[in-house]
Amino acid sequence: MEILSAITLVVAALITALGCFAESTRRTIILLSVQAIAIGSVTLVRCLIDLIIGLNVEALIHFFIAFAEWFSAAVVVPLILYWGVVKTENVVDAPIVGARRLAILVISTAILYMFLWIFQPQILQEEIATLSFCMLMFSFSVFLMVTRRDSLKILTGLNMAENSLYPLLAEIPIMLVPFILTLMIFVTAIGTYIIVEAYRDHGTTLVDRWRWLGN
Amino acid sequence: MYSLLPLLTLIVPLFSGVLCLFTCLFRFLEEFSRRMSKILLLISAALSLAPPLTMIPYCAVGEVLETTGLGLRADSSNIAALVSTAILFFLVSIYNMGAEKGGRLKPGVYNFFLLLFLCCMFGLLLSYDLFGIFLFVELVIGVSIILVAHNTIKAATEAAFKYLIITAISALFVLIGVLTIYILTGESNILHLLSDSEKQAALAENPRLLMFIVACFIVGLGADIGLVPFHGWLPDCLPASTIIINGFTAMEPIPLILALHKLVAPLYRIYPSNVMLAFMLGTGLISMIFGALMAYSQKDFFRMAAYCSIDEYGHSLFALSLLSSLEMQSFIIGQFYLINSTLAKTGLILSLGSVYFKSGSSDMDSLGGLAEKMGKTALSYVICAFSLTGIPPMSGFYAKLLFFSASYIFFYEYGNSMLAILMVTLMVCISIISFVFLTRSFHRIFLGKSRTNIDVKNDVPMLMWLPTIILAMATLVFGIRPDLLLRFISPV
Repeated sequence: MEILSAITLVVAALITALGCFAESTRRTIILLSVQAIAIGSVTLVRCLIDLIIGLNVEALIHFFIAFAEWFSAAVVVPLILYWGVVKTENVVDAPIVGARRLAILVISTAILYMFLWIFQPQILQEEIATLSFCMLMFSFSVFLMVTRRDSLKILTGLNMAENSLYPLLAEIPIMLVPFILTLMIFVTAIGTYIIVEAYRDHGTTLVDRWRWLGN
Repeated sequence: MYSLLPLLTLIVPLFSGVLCLFTCLFRFLEEFSRRMSKILLLISAALSLAPPLTMIPYCAVGEVLETTGLGLRADSSNIAALVSTAILFFLVSIYNMGAEKGGRLKPGVYNFFLLLFLCCMFGLLLSYDLFGIFLFVELVIGVSIILVAHNTIKAATEAAFKYLIITAISALFVLIGVLTIYILTGESNILHLLSDSEKQAALAENPRLLMFIVACFIVGLGADIGLVPFHGWLPDCLPASTIIINGFTAMEPIPLILALHKLVAPLYRIYPSNVMLAFMLGTGLISMIFGALMAYSQKDFFRMAAYCSIDEYGHSLFALSLLSSLEMQSFIIGQFYLINSTLAKTGLILSLGSVYFKSGSSDMDSLGGLAEKMGKTALSYVICAFSLTGIPPMSGFYAKLLFFSASYIFFYEYGNSMLAILMVTLMVCISIISFVFLTRSFHRIFLGKSRTNIDVKNDVPMLMWLPTIILAMATLVFGIRPDLLLRFISPV
């Protein structure tokens, strides 16, 4: 793995970890944006260099695709979530770690690392370091999702988890990238819409006040 | 042969949906949109029926209609499911005419999402491209989340959020599975993958990875379908949605379960492994047992229907997972079972919706004696319930008979006669439990003494009872003449 990629992935993992302990929803969203900027920047810079050196249509298309991915993850999705905060409230809370939540976290992390163990001997030898960071970020995101009561923070955690799979998404056919991006934005928009509607119904974004978590 | 019909099947509902959306974008069309929305939906549903019906004569003689480049293909493996989905959608659209009272979404937007939902279900049935399947699965789920949130009751948003979080995480598993196959083989078309020995070898050389991919698909799609242990959202979503949305989403498992089979069966062909069978059969069996036992103890009839659905999904998945030498038969039996159970389940859920529409309650303890006032609804309910439990001459009987027979042969081949008898006995016991809770629910809702707190004077309007009666009659017709459906089903 190149040193630049390693640095950005370490930075992204660190930002994801900070996101787990961020107290306000706004700060969590900002950290989501910064995480996406960090993860996507390597690919974006690489495409830009290719474009400057090659100056061909293929390089231009690759650059636009990389830019669209980066822009949607770092700007569009956080803005949708921020709209949710504007329409609801900026909740300030700390992570709650109970036995049940800890069990979910341990199981999900174990599954993720089992995935890495399965991958390790057979393929993607050159990708293994990148994948380790992906899994680490994914684990942090799951931690964020299971330890928070604020629905917007849970949704932000979900987006952080999606962002952590970004290096894998680089493999998909170019033609499908716009569809995948639209889908990710669509899911975030649905989630935010539901939270705003739930806020209108219940006057809170805290899920433990909602019936399904047994208020 | 090259044909634009598969593409047209997607375009018709999508285009109709966009037109419906336009009616609510302009203020001068708002009044028109409000008044005409139900009729527009019905017309769109009728138009969407046309392309699948047009494809029947071709597929019946074994022709393959393919829109190459997009990975869309209609053949005898998906035409029955395609037509059933379109007919069910049309019937629920008729029900919608009488039952829709409005909700959070504007009428035009509501119609758009319903038609997008239909388009995505068609896409899921027609697509043989891994990424296409992923996109359609997620769109189907995304749209059904919005539709759950359409209801104005408080529980709707809570249920929709739970549904969103569970299925969004599961989407990542489907994506990982799809990406892993693509990274390994460089191929995204399932049929091309099956015809290329080099690409098959690339997968077969990594058996552990293959198991992992199968596990990803089961977890990912299992959560979307509502299979145990990923079913958490389903018992909350059914009571929280409007009665019409329950009808529309009742047909969702047809494309989703067939998509799961479409993804896993080729991998089994490439590397036949007992572990894969254990994953699939285990998930199906657990869903059957858990669904039946949980449905038995419910007081709310929507929750009972939710657990009953889990039981039926388990049956369908189990039948489709009887791979090995029986693969051809298991596909036919599984799809026959899936279509029949969806027909009966949709009839059952719509009948329960009619009861809720008139009484305003879904608590079975507070209901009773409704058969006198709601005779047609009671009739459709009991026929659909008997079909689900496998009572002759309903189609459920034939479906269960085929299911038991296939299970017996499979376990006899894989184990011994003792294991086969044991498995069939277990499945008969599950069917008896279903029979008990469904008959008991009929007794609690429709028989016994009328409750004074529930003021029901007459049956629901014709637009609401007619679809349920048609569905009940369909289960009778397919029970007497199962060949009408069976002759349109055959594997790829």
